[in-house]
Amino acid sequence: MAARLGAGDRGQVKRGGFILFVGLLAFLGLVFYHPLFRVLQRGLTEGGKWSFSPLGTILTDGYYLHIIVFSLKQAIMSTLLSLGIGLPGAYLLTRYSFPGKTAIRSLTVIPFVLPAIVVALGFILFFGNSGWVNQWLMSLFHLSNPPLHILYSLTGIVLAHVFYNAPIVTRVVNAAWEGIDPEIDEAASSLGAGGIRRFVGITLPLLSPALLSSAALVFIFSFLSFPIVLTLGGARYATIEVGIYTLVRTLLDYRLGSALILVETALSLSFTYLYLKAEGGFAVLTQGSRRLVVYPLFVRKASIGRVFIVVYIVIISVFFLGPISSVLVDSLRVAGRWSCESYRQIFALSYNPFLGVSPLRTVLNSLFIGGIATAISLPVGTLIAMFAVRSRLPGRRLIEAILMAPLAVSSVAIGFAVLYGLGGAPLHLSGTLIAIALAHAILTYPFVVRVIRPVLEGLDPSLVEAARSLGASRNRAFFEVILPLIGPGMLAAAVFAFALSIGEMTATIMLMRPGLGTMPVAVYSLLSARQFGAASAMGMILIVVTAVAFLAIDRLGKRGTKCQSL
Amino acid sequence: MPELVVENLTKSFGKVNALYRISFTLSQGEFLTLLGPSGCGKTTTLRLIAGFDRPNGGRITIDGRSILNDPPEDRQIGFVFQNYALFPHMNVARNIAYGTRFNRGIPTKRRVRELLDLVDLRGFERRTPAELSSGQQQRVALARALAPRPRLLLLDEPLSALDASLRESLRMQIRNIQQELTLSTVYVTHDQAEALSLADRIVVMQSGVIQQIGTPQKVYEHPQTEFVASFIGRANRFSGTVTVIKHGLISVKVGEFLFFVTSEAGLPDGLDTSQITPGDHVSLFVKEEHMQLREGGQNTISAQVASRQYRGETSIVHLKTQFGLLRARVDTHQAETITSGSKVKLSFSPGAGLLFPVS
Repeated sequence: MAARLGAGDRGQVKRGGFILFVGLLAFLGLVFYHPLFRVLQRGLTEGGKWSFSPLGTILTDGYYLHIIVFSLKQAIMSTLLSLGIGLPGAYLLTRYSFPGKTAIRSLTVIPFVLPAIVVALGFILFFGNSGWVNQWLMSLFHLSNPPLHILYSLTGIVLAHVFYNAPIVTRVVNAAWEGIDPEIDEAASSLGAGGIRRFVGITLPLLSPALLSSAALVFIFSFLSFPIVLTLGGARYATIEVGIYTLVRTLLDYRLGSALILVETALSLSFTYLYLKAEGGFAVLTQGSRRLVVYPLFVRKASIGRVFIVVYIVIISVFFLGPISSVLVDSLRVAGRWSCESYRQIFALSYNPFLGVSPLRTVLNSLFIGGIATAISLPVGTLIAMFAVRSRLPGRRLIEAILMAPLAVSSVAIGFAVLYGLGGAPLHLSGTLIAIALAHAILTYPFVVRVIRPVLEGLDPSLVEAARSLGASRNRAFFEVILPLIGPGMLAAAVFAFALSIGEMTATIMLMRPGLGTMPVAVYSLLSARQFGAASAMGMILIVVTAVAFLAIDRLGKRGTKCQSL
Repeated sequence: MPELVVENLTKSFGKVNALYRISFTLSQGEFLTLLGPSGCGKTTTLRLIAGFDRPNGGRITIDGRSILNDPPEDRQIGFVFQNYALFPHMNVARNIAYGTRFNRGIPTKRRVRELLDLVDLRGFERRTPAELSSGQQQRVALARALAPRPRLLLLDEPLSALDASLRESLRMQIRNIQQELTLSTVYVTHDQAEALSLADRIVVMQSGVIQQIGTPQKVYEHPQTEFVASFIGRANRFSGTVTVIKHGLISVKVGEFLFFVTSEAGLPDGLDTSQITPGDHVSLFVKEEHMQLREGGQNTISAQVASRQYRGETSIVHLKTQFGLLRARVDTHQAETITSGSKVKLSFSPGAGLLFPVS
């Protein structure tokens, strides 16, 4: 655990850390590795013997081949379009100054935590056949039929993925761009390189790790996306995730479901490997000693460039604000009038036929699951972050990668693993909220690691030594020096994990039984039943939870870094 | 009575020996400097004394009692870190007060006030470390280490992050405080000027081994190893062989030239003329300030001035000779009389040469 502690108790600390770490591995083995292994094994056995026949069925069946190809195709399109939309944003954020720049930069994290089902809902309300855009167009041009048909098509899926992922591209590339030492560019210009040559020869190669890693990230997210495809894809456009869900939950075919998970996991593991490799190239970038010169964005000087910038800003404003605003507006409108009726509906204690349970119950279920999942993922993630930062073991990179495996395994697969591996004896978790909470804990702990790890890395090991040379015991040093410094980071991680759990629908739906629905599942059910008002009201609650989480992360994150920036 | 005794201290990290059988003593009130290039083991030595790491062998005692099994918090040793390691979430007063809470009998408030006075930071109590300049941070770190009245103060390159003028003034401040409190102090640095001006004695280290222990004057004027001769001060080095040993003079053949060195001043302690014989390979060192730009007895060679570097009162003259480029430090008014490219005579007295046998 702690790298440099006192002489007398060093062995004791090592032993304590070792015991904790073994406990962690045992826990993850029980709830994740072993269940996942059993699922993968199921995909490779036939009648109790090892066999490639389930895999063979998948890889020779036209339908499954079609959904594999479709998954890759929509992911590639989503990635390219996300880069196309996200990169100009990164450029604007890097090279121009404008009011609200800091806020916009912070807001780019929102889609990451915004529940996918809410995005799907917003898309239906805004871009749907009877959505806002079509209604405006119809009244504007006096049409009798909706002119735009983007839902239940590849376009709809890809656009929703872009909504989700373009801000990630903007965020990652902007961070890398600002990290480039401007003196490198100045050196190139002093050597005679012109603007375009500098961009192609200097900036682009320096940005390529960021470009590659954000593209890989978008690709993985789109490849494993579930709620958006389920909602916006209709019956014709299924991805592997939806295929697995249908096999397991509708057809109850565990044999083929497991085999499809095997194929999916093999693919996603390779993509994740590429992503981690690309991300490794970052270290050399962030060494800028001086800040880049920025130009004011809004000046009274018309040029072709300015026109493009304005058009871009208008388009992304409509594209990003439209769906979210329509959720808000629709939650407050009933039969063409402003009303709070939808909110009254979802806080009702009475049974709702579309949900199979009272709406309030789903809110309580979500809170319960979120609480348990956070209580598990926070200590698990913290321990792994400590291991990653402090361990000097040989092979620790590999161990770290294995510990972060849930990042590379799809939510449907994790849901199925928990269902299949933990549903029966000895734990009999099938049909319990605990099973859903466990799945959420597995899904969220890698994000806890990602939040806490930099906090721990920023912690100066000599702080503990300083405290101890002044007479503080090991425990006092921990409670008086370490905890106050990593506390805000841990709180941010907890809020993040909680928000992710609250918005999670994929694993939940794999494990759901009547009565166990959560808020996102309720949004999905209400959406399927075309109860848009209630769905929007429930969606608004999710948006608010997300916004609160985002604010907390933003504030706490800043405080954390301020403490370390000494 | 010696206070701190370090005996045969050995520390290895994996297969690398960071320290090998280090021994030295520190008496009450003494200011000892560990000097050496980075990676020589000086910081490791300090960390072992403080208790942050455990040695693989050897002993550390204070007043005859081994401290090796005490955790750092029980050693009563103050430590000033290179990066100060101030607690970023506490203000100046709380940083300084931190250690006093573990020592009953130290009135916290009064002690904080005393130390703020000592380091000239009255009025900064409520500032956080982030609101201080690096020089102020350094002084808070010193005050914090002194507050619990440690038996011993260890400083790990405490001034290396500061600019030159600040370094100089803080150096004197540290020395004054140390003398005022007659505090036994070990100070690690790689800066020879710092070591020479601060220390009662200097321990010169290289590659985990002690090269020489002595007063600044002794270490500077009578280096005992070739490493010390080349690390402290600037010297010209010649490789040659001993030819004749006679009348307290040793003649050394370098190329085709014969230099003469007095055996009394030229040989390291414990080595006399009986231990060297003609034909032995030696290194001959002559400090740059001992090179003279004039005819001077037998050790006179011809040279051509290559360049001149102004250093204020003195100047460094680079000279092309048959032995390659040599340096001489001379008074600036003398250096001003010569021009680049001019031919001069270069000499040194036999008493200025330092000889080290090459094994």
